[in-house]
Amino acid sequence: MLAYILRRIAQLVPVVLVLTVVVFCFVEALPGSIVDTLVGTEGGDIEEARAILRKEYGLDRPIHERYALWLVRVAEFDFGKSLVTRRPISTELLSRIPATIYLAAVGISLSMLIAVPLGTFAAVRRNTGVDYGAQVTSLAGISIPEFWFAILCVLLFSLYLGWLPSSGYVSPFDDFWGSLKFLILPAAAIGFRQAAFTTRLTRSSMLDELSKEYVDTARAMGLPERRVIFRYTLRNAMIPTITISGLQLANLLGGTVVLESIFAWPGIGRAIFEAILQRDYPLIQAGVLVLGIIVVLMNLLVDLTYRLLNPRVKLA
Amino acid sequence: MTGENKKGTEQSRRRFLASTTALAGAAMVGLPPQDAAAGKKHPKRGGTLRFGTRDDSVGLDTHRNIIYFVSHPLTGITGGLVDFDDKMEPKPGVAESWDTSADLKTWTFKLRRGAEYHNGQTIDAESVKWNIERIKDPKTSHAFTRSVVSGVERVTVDDKHTVRFHLKEPDVALDINLVYYPVNLMAPGAADKADTEPVNCGPFKFKSWRRHDRCEMVRFENFYETDAEGNSLPYLDGLIGLPKKEDRVRLTALRANELDLIDNVAYADAAAFKKDHGRTFETWPVPQVGTAMMFFNLKNGLLSEKDNPDAHLLRQAIAHAIDREGIHQAVFNGIGSIANGFYGESSPWHPKGIAPSSTFDLDKAKALRKKAKGGDQRLTIIANDTFPYMQQSGELVHAMLKDAGFNVVLEILPSPVMLEKQGKGDYNIDSTANSYRLDPDGWFARNVLSSAPENRRRTGYVNEKADQIIIAARQERDRAKRRQMYADVETLVNRDLPMLYTHYVPLMMAGHRTRVKGYAPSFTGPWSYTGAGMRRTWMES
Amino acid sequence: MAELDAGKLVDIADEGRVPPAPPFFKRLMAALSNALYELRKSRTATIGAVMLVLLFGACIATPWIATHDPTKQNYRARLAPPSEQHLLGTDRMGRDIYSRLLHGGRRLVTIAILAVGLSMLVGVPFGVLVGYWGGMADTLGMRLVDGLLAFPGLLLYLLFVTVAQAWKLEGITMDIVLIAALGLAGMPEKARLARGSVLAEKQKEYVEASRAIGDSSVRIALGQVLPNIVSPLIVTATVRLGTVILIVAALSFLGLGTPPPTPDWGADLSAARDYMETHPLMAAFPGLAICYTVLAFNLFGDGLRDILDPRLAER
Repeated sequence: MLAYILRRIAQLVPVVLVLTVVVFCFVEALPGSIVDTLVGTEGGDIEEARAILRKEYGLDRPIHERYALWLVRVAEFDFGKSLVTRRPISTELLSRIPATIYLAAVGISLSMLIAVPLGTFAAVRRNTGVDYGAQVTSLAGISIPEFWFAILCVLLFSLYLGWLPSSGYVSPFDDFWGSLKFLILPAAAIGFRQAAFTTRLTRSSMLDELSKEYVDTARAMGLPERRVIFRYTLRNAMIPTITISGLQLANLLGGTVVLESIFAWPGIGRAIFEAILQRDYPLIQAGVLVLGIIVVLMNLLVDLTYRLLNPRVKLA
Repeated sequence: MTGENKKGTEQSRRRFLASTTALAGAAMVGLPPQDAAAGKKHPKRGGTLRFGTRDDSVGLDTHRNIIYFVSHPLTGITGGLVDFDDKMEPKPGVAESWDTSADLKTWTFKLRRGAEYHNGQTIDAESVKWNIERIKDPKTSHAFTRSVVSGVERVTVDDKHTVRFHLKEPDVALDINLVYYPVNLMAPGAADKADTEPVNCGPFKFKSWRRHDRCEMVRFENFYETDAEGNSLPYLDGLIGLPKKEDRVRLTALRANELDLIDNVAYADAAAFKKDHGRTFETWPVPQVGTAMMFFNLKNGLLSEKDNPDAHLLRQAIAHAIDREGIHQAVFNGIGSIANGFYGESSPWHPKGIAPSSTFDLDKAKALRKKAKGGDQRLTIIANDTFPYMQQSGELVHAMLKDAGFNVVLEILPSPVMLEKQGKGDYNIDSTANSYRLDPDGWFARNVLSSAPENRRRTGYVNEKADQIIIAARQERDRAKRRQMYADVETLVNRDLPMLYTHYVPLMMAGHRTRVKGYAPSFTGPWSYTGAGMRRTWMES
Repeated sequence: MAELDAGKLVDIADEGRVPPAPPFFKRLMAALSNALYELRKSRTATIGAVMLVLLFGACIATPWIATHDPTKQNYRARLAPPSEQHLLGTDRMGRDIYSRLLHGGRRLVTIAILAVGLSMLVGVPFGVLVGYWGGMADTLGMRLVDGLLAFPGLLLYLLFVTVAQAWKLEGITMDIVLIAALGLAGMPEKARLARGSVLAEKQKEYVEASRAIGDSSVRIALGQVLPNIVSPLIVTATVRLGTVILIVAALSFLGLGTPPPTPDWGADLSAARDYMETHPLMAAFPGLAICYTVLAFNLFGDGLRDILDPRLAER
């Protein structure tokens, strides 16, 4: 097992390298330069100021040199400074990434809270009103544009009902209970949407399990239906649900950018988005790299969990 | 400053020093009577104000970044030699008084005794000199700020409280430009931490900042300004800046009581908001913000005489095709007014007798377009993505030009791409705007004067007569005459059409009526604002 | 089934490997009637199909049923409520919402179909080939795919679309770039799916049979294996169409979509957010149009899965 894990981790290295090269190429191709924005336009010594800044930021070197330098520094865990704010990028990432993980993790948990009972019911009461109801609800969740849904939620819950704050963020490390009320709306917006996928998955894997022989055996032994379903079937059916949720969580790390701007949530998605707009090159590179590493590690973790939970899958 | 102008400044300064009251400040900006009455309520110390803004500062070093506009809550930490008032006249800031030599080449500033930086360091003449030198260095400053002091040859220290600026050329507007292109002072000892823990001299001290999320400031206990009763200002204990980029989100947060004050109420919301929520929330139009316009590219391409002999005809056709009433309605929702020159009626520099640019006349536009060479070739409009009104004006002008038969495309772009396209001349029309310059030389000598780098970079307009007037106006001491000179320049601009002024940019702020008291907005942000603004705002529970 | 196919293959191979092709029209009709019969088995697929027929009908008929030029402004009639003249009212520039909706839908559906088509066209052969070849090709190809998949969420689109701002684009070329971005960013997913199916399919006898008679590997991979893994790909593609429409809307919200005045549901919905309270209908029309379309694709894709997946069908 350990050898397998190590081999898988070793395989991640080229993946991450591909990622860095792709990001570097994209960043290089971005039109416009940060130097122009930082230097400003009014005044007669712009060219001189531009040259100074380009030199200071090392932008006058050829791209392969910059890439090599960057890679060496990153290997030493030095992401450098933001070209815009001139503050260390590591500080920025350390405050932004947890905010997004917090939002995404709670969102996914909420989606499972909705999806697992709904999917189970839909499977048990297959082809009944409950089933169709669950399918329609879950499809509605995927079909609505998330920013529209989020704005409608804000109008309803913050403005008309006044139950929840409309936007903002409090770090859970500063004030856990205080942070929750800011979290509910954005997390619910994520949860509703993700629940759509998860419900359908739970339903189909439940159906899969229910058709298996051990269920018939258990029923034949006279075990109560409730027990058959919750004790045995659901437990097995949860395996794919959990793994898919893990993958969704990874994908959400860069997928919450729209919700982050609506709820003024200081997450990493919006930080990278702003950095792209402003051409804050090292912040884009560092942000995508760190997120990418988290994503591939999470995929690995999901994979390992799946194998652990499901001993039928052999370690290839 | 011209003689008359200078005298007026002196007088208003003395008047200010003699009696400054919060009420005067409130009355001056023309608040409705009921608000002035509310202003009579006795101000009190304490409270923290939550300010929601559309934008946020770029960095903390105030020499390297423009921490300045209404949308930057961090302006609370900044301060400089000179403040200004609601008439856009310079007022004493860290400098208690100032004088210029007869040739307008030497400016002497007397510093206020007891003024301090946030770390307790005295603001002395040496530190002012250090600041100016740091701003003059392209390694450590932003071109916008540097452009003011680039004319300063050297700074000398007479004594601890007297600092002298020696200029290369006469400059009438140095004092006022020190506010506009904010020459903010920072403590020399703290320069190496300017990007992380800035030490400035504004009414509030820096506490923390997470960009696009939150910044916190606390009251600076040794700020120099006091109210009429001798209470030290500001009244507020603290200020929290909460940038929320989405206009809708910001307004919702205000209405849900998560904010006390916001900037940039969307024009679409303004009327309904005032009508439905006017009891709970107060709205302020920010006076004298700026002017929206279409810049034409005269450097190259279809609208440039260099590449197209009929370029002027085409620009006229465009001007006739643009119905500015439409911009007034569809972009600004009927707020503000249509522009014929750079300075609007609320400005002391609003000139009379400008010959207006062409009026809307679709048939004439079509005829001119057909007649002109290149009338069927493609025109590109660009607009910055940061400001909704620039995009929407661009969108509307695009539709109007299409109505007149033009072959036209619209590109909405982020600032870095805008700068690149402007520099390369890779556009024909730029839907843009410019904020008011406190002194008109700041506008005309930068955007109309043919030798100005900014004009050369963007429109590339050359008119010798305009150049002569602009240069002469710098030395004109009579304010009324000077204003008339600029009116003549505007007439030339409206005739030659290097740009088409479209609309004065209104800006609306909103705040909680019962909680926020004594507030009055100003166009450079509510801080460097003598007699009103954030320094004199207090909270009622 | 596999055994039968393999047997056929050997026969065909003996005849010089040229299968006699039935007349195209006849084949098409047979396929269609077969599809209709299958379709009726799934209620969701039927509903989805009906919704899609209406949608495509509207898209095709747009030039005839639209009442106004979708980009024609008229500020004097801005923010008008629905009326006889403007069936769904007008927007902030006084443009006819009904006509914008139709033209926007036609554009959006075309973009989505072409983008998904592109991602299949690039991703599937890529996945099939590397999966079939295995070894070094597989390792390299999959590392590339994994590297692209490591961009979470919208980041890859954001980068791509921002880079595209450098190019002088307008109208149709803008849409082509959008299609390319969406198509290429969707490619790794398809490649991975195709490769997975190929790995499973590779073990089957018909492949070995083809190989035994000396067919080239590219030919086997694309000619024999591909048709057998088509059904999971069609299902994914259908569902993906809905996702693509939502991604385009999200990009518009972030200001990276197609610039105005091109009619675009996402951009129109996004622009209507200033009027969400005062003129809620302005947002409702494009919003509901997006919901309808995504729902139609999802229902249809879902139903298709039920029909095409024999494991599910027997239940």
